[in-house]
Amino acid sequence: MYGKGLLKGLSVTGRNVFRKRLTEKYPEEKPQLAARWRGGFQLDVNECIACSLCEKACPNSAIKLTTEKNEENKKQLASYELNQSYCLFCGLCVEACPKKCLRFTREFETATYHKEEVKLDLFKNQNLSASASIYAQPEKATEAARKEEK
Amino acid sequence: MKTQTYTLNLGPQHPSTHGVLRVVLELDGETCVGSKTHVGYLHRGIEKILEDRTYPQVIPYTDRLDYLAGINNNLVYVQTMEKMMNIEIPERAEYIRVMLAELMRIASHMVGIGIYIMDLGAISAVFYPFIEREKILDMMAHLSGSRMTFNYMRIGGLAHDIHSDFKPELDKFIVEFPRFIEDYHRLIDDNEIFIARTKNVGTITAEKAKSYGLTGPNLRACGVKHDIRKTNPYGIYNRFDFEVPVGEIGDCYDRYVVRMKEVEESFKIIQQAYKELPDGPVMAKVPKLIKPPIGDVYHQTENPKGVLGCYVVSDGTPKPSRVHFRRPSFNNISIFDEIFIGHKIADIIAILASFDFVLGEVDA
Repeated sequence: MYGKGLLKGLSVTGRNVFRKRLTEKYPEEKPQLAARWRGGFQLDVNECIACSLCEKACPNSAIKLTTEKNEENKKQLASYELNQSYCLFCGLCVEACPKKCLRFTREFETATYHKEEVKLDLFKNQNLSASASIYAQPEKATEAARKEEK
Repeated sequence: MKTQTYTLNLGPQHPSTHGVLRVVLELDGETCVGSKTHVGYLHRGIEKILEDRTYPQVIPYTDRLDYLAGINNNLVYVQTMEKMMNIEIPERAEYIRVMLAELMRIASHMVGIGIYIMDLGAISAVFYPFIEREKILDMMAHLSGSRMTFNYMRIGGLAHDIHSDFKPELDKFIVEFPRFIEDYHRLIDDNEIFIARTKNVGTITAEKAKSYGLTGPNLRACGVKHDIRKTNPYGIYNRFDFEVPVGEIGDCYDRYVVRMKEVEESFKIIQQAYKELPDGPVMAKVPKLIKPPIGDVYHQTENPKGVLGCYVVSDGTPKPSRVHFRRPSFNNISIFDEIFIGHKIADIIAILASFDFVLGEVDA
């Protein structure tokens, strides 16, 4: 019978009408992001040893940092700029950080009105208040973060 | 009455060209009498960029070739480098790689099939596969922190072990997926409109397919049993039990059938790999600075779109001298100019959709 296949297909559609809705009501309900989410960045300047490994790991040279010597003749960070317009969000910088002080955050609404805001000055604004991602973080920190979530 | 043919530009901005492919059609009424495919609107010069990147820095760029299945592109590059440097990777990493490659194959075919049928006029048929794809992308986000550009594989293994949130979702996926396959067959297989639009449209003989260098589901739909996973197994694919589905006459309907069957075979591989997943490390001992010996290596893997080859030339420095990718979509669309002739415009849309190409890969 012609049209039998169409009716068979419609029965599937019909069943799906009563399915639980899967769409998120986005602006009202924020999505549940993965623990390893690669969104924004945060930098703990006090922990940073200014080794510039993150700068070298970056494929697109999005990170520019300068260093200076302090009173004890130790190298310390003088400025840290991460230009997100060149950033691939590949995470190689975060993986390279020996002190694990450069971290991803779980932010996702990162659109800005002005292009100057795309450049992150992580030296002045460390962005430590944002929820940190566990991407490439050592196991212990991972566990602690899990406990906090629970 | 005097009549003449006219030229129609299909694309570059046209929803049915799946990106920025431009096809210049010479039409006699509704029938195509000549066609010329233009590519290059999405060219980013990836191969040239890679000459100025160190070996590990290449991996994030491979994600951007076939962006519907980034993991499979990661795989071909890291396996090429492992071949070049003779690195043995841990068992656990091998199993996870196979699982992820097959998951992404399903995710890619979900787009391929869904968009194909949407181009033929159906709407609900695109949403059901996208629900399944969404589940896979969520799983990938738990592993790599990203939904599209994963950058998850490393030369010598994987960036990190699987996250504890991944397993429950995979368990759920394994339970729910067969139901989806069954439903989708009910929805599409006997649909009279779909059959009328696709049967005996865009038929390709096996000889012609081979001569144009077609690979992947598009070649297998023509009846050629060629799958790198079987003919020249890479990684640990020889340990799994799966079939290579082939079509009969190589028309648009066969291309749909082959993709659906391939999804089922991929699902079988995932189940086997998941069952046998061993414990252990996921990263081999690899020097911090990757400096392969002077030489060149070619390696190829079976991507969702076809055979993806990677050719790396090393001059002994930390940066590759040349990286080239044999992108399957580029070879696959080369046949368009020939098979379009004689078809009506609506059939051309069906053929375009049935090929499931990705412009990120065509132009690189």
